[in-house]
Order: sequence, then structure tokens, then C-alpha cells
Amino acid sequence: MKRFLTILTIMTATLAMAQNGKATTEKKTFSRETAVSTTIKADPAIIWKLLTNAADFPRWNSTVISIDGNDLEIQVKQNAICSFISKAPCVDVDLMCIDGRIAEGEKIKLKSTLDPKRTFKLKVKKMETNKLLEWGDGQGHRVYAITNNGDGTVLFSMNEKIGGFMFPMYAKHIPPFDKSFEQFAADLKKEAEMIQNFKK
Amino acid sequence: MTTELFNEEFHSISGQLKSYLLRITASVPDVEDIVHDTYIKGLDKLHTFRGDASLKTWLFTIASNIAKDNLRAQKRWVENVTDVCKAAAHANPQFFEESMHIRSTSTQGAFEIKEHIAFCFTCISKSLPLEQQLCVFLKEVYEFKVSEIATIIDTTDAMVKYYLHTGRAKMISVFDGRCALINKEGICHQCSELNGIYNPKQKFQEEIVKIDMAREAGSADKERLFDLRMKIVTETDPFESVAADLQLHHLAHNKNVMEKYV
Repeated sequence: MKRFLTILTIMTATLAMAQNGKATTEKKTFSRETAVSTTIKADPAIIWKLLTNAADFPRWNSTVISIDGNDLEIQVKQNAICSFISKAPCVDVDLMCIDGRIAEGEKIKLKSTLDPKRTFKLKVKKMETNKLLEWGDGQGHRVYAITNNGDGTVLFSMNEKIGGFMFPMYAKHIPPFDKSFEQFAADLKKEAEMIQNFKK
Repeated sequence: MTTELFNEEFHSISGQLKSYLLRITASVPDVEDIVHDTYIKGLDKLHTFRGDASLKTWLFTIASNIAKDNLRAQKRWVENVTDVCKAAAHANPQFFEESMHIRSTSTQGAFEIKEHIAFCFTCISKSLPLEQQLCVFLKEVYEFKVSEIATIIDTTDAMVKYYLHTGRAKMISVFDGRCALINKEGICHQCSELNGIYNPKQKFQEEIVKIDMAREAGSADKERLFDLRMKIVTETDPFESVAADLQLHHLAHNKNVMEKYV
């Protein structure tokens, strides 16, 4: 009973931290899962639009530093999206490309300067407008969830789980995602609330 | 509402409706067609008008729907539209012959820097996604409320805010990078170049200090400079101004070039 209460206390504390925009990571032998949540005072549709318009990322998402041309090549800061490249050592990744449309069933292509000949293909697995976006590949997947609190706020959550039988072999090459998750959530909150409060 | 009152109200907003349609279609023939169709459709559906929104909002809704049907089939223009069209104009001697003829014969053939700023905004705004472009014009130039714009483009208030915010941000970014009137490093000098062609005796520097946006360029923030740009657009009637014929000629040229380019 005492042990159960301890676990419950830890889980509650973790959840509270996550909802404050603080990321948490759970490590296991064959997987690793990072999550962050934050409360945003904005319409779910605004958050959804921001999440699904990749071409607009560089404007509000500080983990992205530039965009070039119609082919949607996005240059990102270190580790911002490298979590998708679960087999690649991400530590020195500083240039990557996204090519593709964020729509259910569509493939998003990512490229790394470390291995420019290789294209990582991620599938947009699930899209529920204003609620859920999920993408990933065989080694991992990321879920963005928007929960309407019904009081003018939403709970935005982002979760990524990577892993597999080979995970222990390359796990040490994958840096923590916590900081980039926290930054992403903070940027999204700031931008969505700015739009919501558009008064002009 | 009676037909007489409808006609009266339609007439009172037709100037705004025409300029709005020109700014989103960049085509005088399209404007004439859409205004005509809006009138016919409005009159036909007048019995359904309940007054929940103003007649102006209702008519802009009809006109926007007709325009959107046409515009959705067309590709959006490019941010560097003025560069592409400038190159095309230089390769086409007839363009300058025609424009100099308009300049010398038309009572609306003057070249005004402010008019060109408004023209330039129209062209570059066509690089925005359609919803962003409509929202920016409806809010910034025609002063509709967010809720009215939501009615006109058939969306939610939240989406209007999103389109307005992103549309403004995009245009601020484009002009900040391009327009030499507000940024010394800006790559576009077409105002001064064209002023030199059409008004050779005029001193450009003396002219631009009369423009608030250019005068405040060194001190005002980007949002303020955008608002000043929108003030110029708002004060410009592309059909009635002293420079209308020349700018409409330029617009027809740019539309032709863009239709082949995009």
C-alpha cells in the first residue's frame, strides 16, 4: 500500500510538472518516452492550424531557424526534430529538411546533414481535426493532443516514444528531448495566445 | 428590404466592393463580372436577407463567395512578383510605350508613389494563401469586425484571427526584406525607378519625405510601418485616383505575367 501511494504521488507530481510545460522522460531498456503538456488560453482550431502548417513553423517555433523555397526545406536547431531519426546519432545534427504535407496518410520526409543521402520517411498516422495528430515510423512515433477544457483553455500535450529491439544499441547516441519539447510547447503557447488575443 | 433601398445601399458600397474585388482578383473584367453577379444574386435572394448582418457584410459575403470560386482554381502569385514582372516589362518594349501613352494622355495617368505602394501591396498580397489575403483586406482596409469577416469567409472568429495574424506577419516580413522605402537594405527600388521614368523632373527624396511610412522608417517598429502602409492602401481608390489608369495598366501586365509564371 505504501509503495502504491509513493508511485501515485510521483505520477501526480510528474503530471503536474508536465502540465506546467516541464518535460518528463521515462527510460526503459527497449524504449524511451518524453512528454510535455501545457495549458493554453486559445481556441483549439488556432493550435491545430499552427501544428499542421509546417511552412509557418519558422515564424513562431524557435527550434526552427529558417525555411527555404517551395520545397519546404526547414533548417532546424540541433535536436529539434532529430528524435524522429531514431537510428541516427543526433548529437551533431544541425540541418534537416522536412518535405511533405501534414495530412493523414501522407509521408513526411526528413533529411539530416550527417547522412544527406538518406531520407527518413515518417507517416502521418492519425489526424483528428483540432484534437489529435500522430506521426512516426517503425522506431517511434510522436503524438500531439489538444484537449478542450471547455473554459476557454485547452491542454496541449506532446509525447514521443522511441524504441525497439535494437534500441539499447543506439540509445546512448540519442540526446535528451526535454529541452526542445519544453521550448516547442512554450513557443506554441505564446503564439496561440497572441493570436487568440488579437485585438487590432 | 425594398428593391429601391437595396439599389441605394448597393450603390453606396459599390466603390468599396469594386476596389476589394480588384485587390483580390487583380482583374478589371473579373471585377465587373463579379459586381454584376453580386447585384443579380443579391436582388434575387433579397427575401432571405434577415438583417442579422449589415447589407454591406451580406453583399461582401456574396461577392467573396463568387470570387473564391474563381480564385481557388488559380495559383497564388509569388512574393517576388515585382521582380519577375519588372524583368518581363523590360523585355517588352510595348509595355513602356503603352504606359507612356497613358501617362501623357489620360487624366488618370499620373504616377504617384503612394499609388504605387498600394499597387505593390495588391500584387504581393496575392502571394498569401487566399484566406489570409481576404482577411487582411477585409480587416485592414474595409474595417470589418472579426465576427463580420467570419461571416463573409464562412469560418470561425478564431480562424479569422489566425489568418489575420499570419497574413499580417507574412506581409510585414516580405516588405521588411524587400521594400527600400522602409529598409535601407531592401532590394526593391521600383518606386524610385518608376518615378524616375514617369516623373523625370521630380526629386524622389523630396517626395518620399511626404509619406509617413518612409519618414518614420528609421524609428517606427515593423507593426507601425505596416499600419502606415495599410493607411496608404486604404486611402487609395484604385479606380478613382489620379493614377488609376497607369496602375491598372501595370496590374493587367503583372496579371498576364503571373498567369504564365506560376
